Amino acid sequence: MVSLLRNQKVRNALLQVLYVGSLAALVLAGIVIARRNLAEQGITSGFDFLYKSTGWDVNFSLLPATANDPYWWFFLIGIINTLFLGSVGLVLATLVGTIVGLARTSSNELAQLLGRTYVDIFRNIPLILQVFFWYAIITHLPTPRAAHEALGMFLTSRGLYVPFPNVGGIAFAAAILAVIAAIALPIWIGRTSRLSQPFGERLGIQLAAAATALTTAAVILALGRLPDLPLLDFPALQGLNLKGGLRIPPEFSALAIAIAIYGGSYIAEIVRGGFKAVGKGQMEAALSLGLSPWRVFTLVRLPLALRAMLPILANQYVWLMKATTMGIAVGFTDFFMIVALTINHSGQTLEAIGILMAGFLAINLSLAAVFNRINKAIALKGNQLRG
Amino acid sequence: MTANSTKPHRPAVRLENLDKYYGTFHALRKVNLSVERGERIVVCGPSGSGKSTMIRCINRLEQHNGGKITVLGTELNDDVANIEGIRREVGMVFQHFNLFPHMTVMENCMIAPMIVRKRPRAEAEATARQYLQKVRIPEQAMKFPGQLSGGQQQRVAIARALCMRPQVMLFDEPTSALDPEMISEVLDVMVTLASEGMTMICVTHEMGFARRVADRVIFMDGGEIVEEAPPEEFFTASRNERTRQFLSQVLGH
Ligand SMILES: Nc1ncnc2c1ncn2[C@@H]1O[C@H](COP(=O)(O)OP(=O)(O)OP(=O)(O)O)[C@@H](O)[C@H]1O
Ligand SMILES: [Mg+2]
Repeated sequence: MVSLLRNQKVRNALLQVLYVGSLAALVLAGIVIARRNLAEQGITSGFDFLYKSTGWDVNFSLLPATANDPYWWFFLIGIINTLFLGSVGLVLATLVGTIVGLARTSSNELAQLLGRTYVDIFRNIPLILQVFFWYAIITHLPTPRAAHEALGMFLTSRGLYVPFPNVGGIAFAAAILAVIAAIALPIWIGRTSRLSQPFGERLGIQLAAAATALTTAAVILALGRLPDLPLLDFPALQGLNLKGGLRIPPEFSALAIAIAIYGGSYIAEIVRGGFKAVGKGQMEAALSLGLSPWRVFTLVRLPLALRAMLPILANQYVWLMKATTMGIAVGFTDFFMIVALTINHSGQTLEAIGILMAGFLAINLSLAAVFNRINKAIALKGNQLRG
Repeated sequence: MTANSTKPHRPAVRLENLDKYYGTFHALRKVNLSVERGERIVVCGPSGSGKSTMIRCINRLEQHNGGKITVLGTELNDDVANIEGIRREVGMVFQHFNLFPHMTVMENCMIAPMIVRKRPRAEAEATARQYLQKVRIPEQAMKFPGQLSGGQQQRVAIARALCMRPQVMLFDEPTSALDPEMISEVLDVMVTLASEGMTMICVTHEMGFARRVADRVIFMDGGEIVEEAPPEEFFTASRNERTRQFLSQVLGH
């Protein structure tokens, strides 16, 4: 018996059981107590409220929304808003981070200085202050009446008005998928056939793939367009306000810019670290073979740097995803704000928070899973201590 | 080919009054060296004497500050095409192998011939197999560098350089990062290469190798070429005090 307790595996298993057991007991006790308290206040627990209409509205939605829609629809809107804000924020942050990170690794001293200053400033100002800062700036832009038009868009204190296709929601989503494919396919082809075709031939295939995907997107948009309306709906001034197109509210823009700039300062450091991790030796070897600096960058430096960056980048992305909950500070109806409003209006605190946690867990676990897959697929094989 | 006598004399590599500074540190002091086609040169000398710096100047991994470098009749200058053109003809093997860890052995060997020399894939593959055979590791072609021993990695690195079919090979201490039992497998490959007439400049402290294959041994100290002699003379009849001191250290007596 004593010897069994000394066994390392048995010990670990036992500790696990104890840990999970006490956690389960804690959660169970919490639920029982909460149920009794809620019952005393006359609030019925359960998820029936999901099918009731909310009676309130959201200020931004990619899906049609009215106050008559049920709670579950609003949760969906919230998740989509969060994903939308998250993906715009992450893409922009990655763009900013890559540029600043490359500036910091460049041999140009001015670029280095600018990069370092950027990181020092924006990494050290709390995100919420940056959100407020951009929100203040945007809401002080000219009013719709005074705003100038550029490329069919209006930048105003009431938001950014952009042309939007007059198409159904599903067709729009499908078209977006096709556009993503138009970007992803050429990259994928480039990766899988890096050595199998001469450069020119591969470029042809990549262009063909992109063209096919873009054509598909156009066809989907044409088929899904709403009857009797022009394909693109342009915003135009009507009276005191702009009508038509899609209004990106100031709340969204402020959040996206803040996440891009704040996240970019962290990603810049990750990018810099990734490039620093690439051994000088590999690049010298590539140069000594007569490869051009650009080829050395794309074939050796970037692929190796990406491998060093990706695990840390995944963490950063998960973190930035959670940062979208700042939306509540300026009143953007992201998932968190919808949950907060739901709690206010329905009193279903526990259920709503449960849905919130499950939703974020699902988003972030999927994000992490995707990155794990990529990491595994590109991991360097064998022992890397040598060479 | 016409008679040799009508051709102007063109050494494979010629260094004239080569100067190199790292900041204010004078790493190479007016180095002069001429290497004929097919000649095998061994460079030795104490740590910090400028051996690496000298051979890295030949393919512009370091930029020289004075003097003239001529490779295969072409003077090395600042022009990118000129530099890449010379690098195509000059292979280099490094102390720490520097294989591309994200590519298989095969890809390591094929990438430069395909992209730099624009050879079709099939030809690049055949060339890679040929040279992997030559360095005696054809069975490792589909492995990744991290899955090989040090000696095997260094032989891949030699094959990778040879796949470009260079006319000159530079070696910078190719065996000094290896465990003793792997040194001979790499040296054997280098001996074979030498016997086939490759022009080689090898920085190494393997004096047995120098005795066997070198046409000339070069001794460097303090950024200068102190002594230059055929191996038998270099090892037995050196008149230079610094050379004798160095030799007694590396030969262990
Ligand atoms: N990038 C550099 N910056 C500054 N000094 C350098 C640099 N590279 C080399 N040096 C200096 O130049 C001198 C010659 O260096 P080099 O690497 O050529 O010596 P080496 O003969 O190859 O020595 P070892 O046997 O240790 O490899 C050394 O004193 C070294 O400290
Ligand atoms: Mg050296």
